[in-house]
Amino acid sequence: MLKLRYNLWFGELGEVLEVSKDLRKSFEGAKNPTPLPFNVSELGLKVFGKDYYGLLRKIAIEVSEEKVEKELRSDDKYVVALVKALEEIEEAMNNLKEKKEELEEVRETEILENFSGSISNLERLKERIEEEIEVVMQRISPNLVEIAGAKIGAKLIEKFGSLENLAKAPASKIQIVGAEKSLYKAIARIKRGKEAKIPKHGIIFTHPFIRGLPKNKRGKMARFLASKISIAAKIDLFRGELEEGLYDSVKKRFEELRRL
Amino acid sequence: MRNVRFFGNVPATKSRYGSHYGEKIFEYRGERYREWIPWRSKLSAMLVKGHEIDLKGNEKILYLGAASGTTISHLADIVDEGILYAVEYSAKPFKKLLELAKIRENIIPIFHDASKPWEYSGIVEKVDLIYQDISQKNQVEILKLNSHFFLKDRGRILMMVKAKSIDSTAEDEEIFRRVLEELSKSFDILLTDSLEPFHKGHIFVYGRKV
Ligand SMILES: C[S@@+](CC[C@H](N)C(=O)[O-])C[C@H]1O[C@@H](n2cnc3c(N)ncnc32)[C@H](O)[C@@H]1O
Repeated sequence: MLKLRYNLWFGELGEVLEVSKDLRKSFEGAKNPTPLPFNVSELGLKVFGKDYYGLLRKIAIEVSEEKVEKELRSDDKYVVALVKALEEIEEAMNNLKEKKEELEEVRETEILENFSGSISNLERLKERIEEEIEVVMQRISPNLVEIAGAKIGAKLIEKFGSLENLAKAPASKIQIVGAEKSLYKAIARIKRGKEAKIPKHGIIFTHPFIRGLPKNKRGKMARFLASKISIAAKIDLFRGELEEGLYDSVKKRFEELRRL
Repeated sequence: MRNVRFFGNVPATKSRYGSHYGEKIFEYRGERYREWIPWRSKLSAMLVKGHEIDLKGNEKILYLGAASGTTISHLADIVDEGILYAVEYSAKPFKKLLELAKIRENIIPIFHDASKPWEYSGIVEKVDLIYQDISQKNQVEILKLNSHFFLKDRGRILMMVKAKSIDSTAEDEEIFRRVLEELSKSFDILLTDSLEPFHKGHIFVYGRKV
């Protein structure tokens, strides 16, 4: 027969209640797949009397304080690692697709199916990582997500190495980061006395508010967006709470430029 | 509402505690009050717009999306004989919430993802009210899950909805209609209204578990 056991923050309830000797541990393990068929506080009040809530609060504070500190230390490292993984996977997919096409031109072979299988596996992995980036970014950088989107935001954090570095970077750097290669090429050309276009945007170029504008207005929008991204990163770094109105100002600028 | 008083158009809560987020503290007839500005808190905006929810002071409340505790600090003044379970999953605002929980005896801080109520199912008791302010696409679903785990029969929900976080393309009115339709499958809707001009594109929904 199936024995029911319930994990409570102060112990385990099976046929009898075993009160935990390590409340922090039982607090962290107080998970149950379905709702408890009784009220945990009623049972707890019988065990601890009027100290119940005081004790619960004390443990809740201790456990969450430790978890929060740990997360604050590792959250943006996690984003950086995810973005790096994503880039590797995208590159691997492109390589595989290329090799597959090369093979196809030479011979119809069964191996091709294995290629397709691997590619679609990678595709799934890529989607999974993108989802995770969304979730983590929403938590650590809500303002950046609000105005730049999770993917651009995460790539910016990756490029600068951390949210802190991004928050401290000048907006002009944010505007062109990711376009270094074409920037260096342009500078080299200019040094040789030739004409060249200085790139106006890097990673942020994929932002719909930039791509949604005609070419001659994109530079202006990129500058504005980069300065707002810088503000968003600062709020995320210091407070981490969504600031209403930041997005509206970016959208307003976009609409102004579109109408001009 | 218990421990709430209007001074002109702005409410304040009677409190023996200091300022948590920069709000003004003042005395009136020998009692201390904390100013509760409607632009800073959706619950305050709701009161300013003339709506009330019934709180006697001893309620058990599950609050999803506590952030740094702006609204919770006032709720803690209101349900001064009750208990508030404050769920928040973002580390930075949670740190500020912890400062509050350390001085307020009726706040239990819970550092968890509100979309996974099973992970805190052995901590939170059955509650009289679930308050939700999380701006998530699937916030109705999250509310229903938590209500399934923790809300007493005939218990109440108070939900803050921001149209843009549910769907960034559809019209606000259409989004709110869909949310209400979805909610009314599990709750009797008691009251709903926009929170403009204090919170753009937001409504609140107050309901009761059927
Ligand atoms: C608009 S703010 C809440 C403001 C707060 N209610 C107040 O008035 O003081 C929304 C909060 O919900 C949190 N949040 C969003 N999704 C969440 C989830 N799934 N679990 C826990 N917290 C969540 C966010 O991190 C953010 O701090």
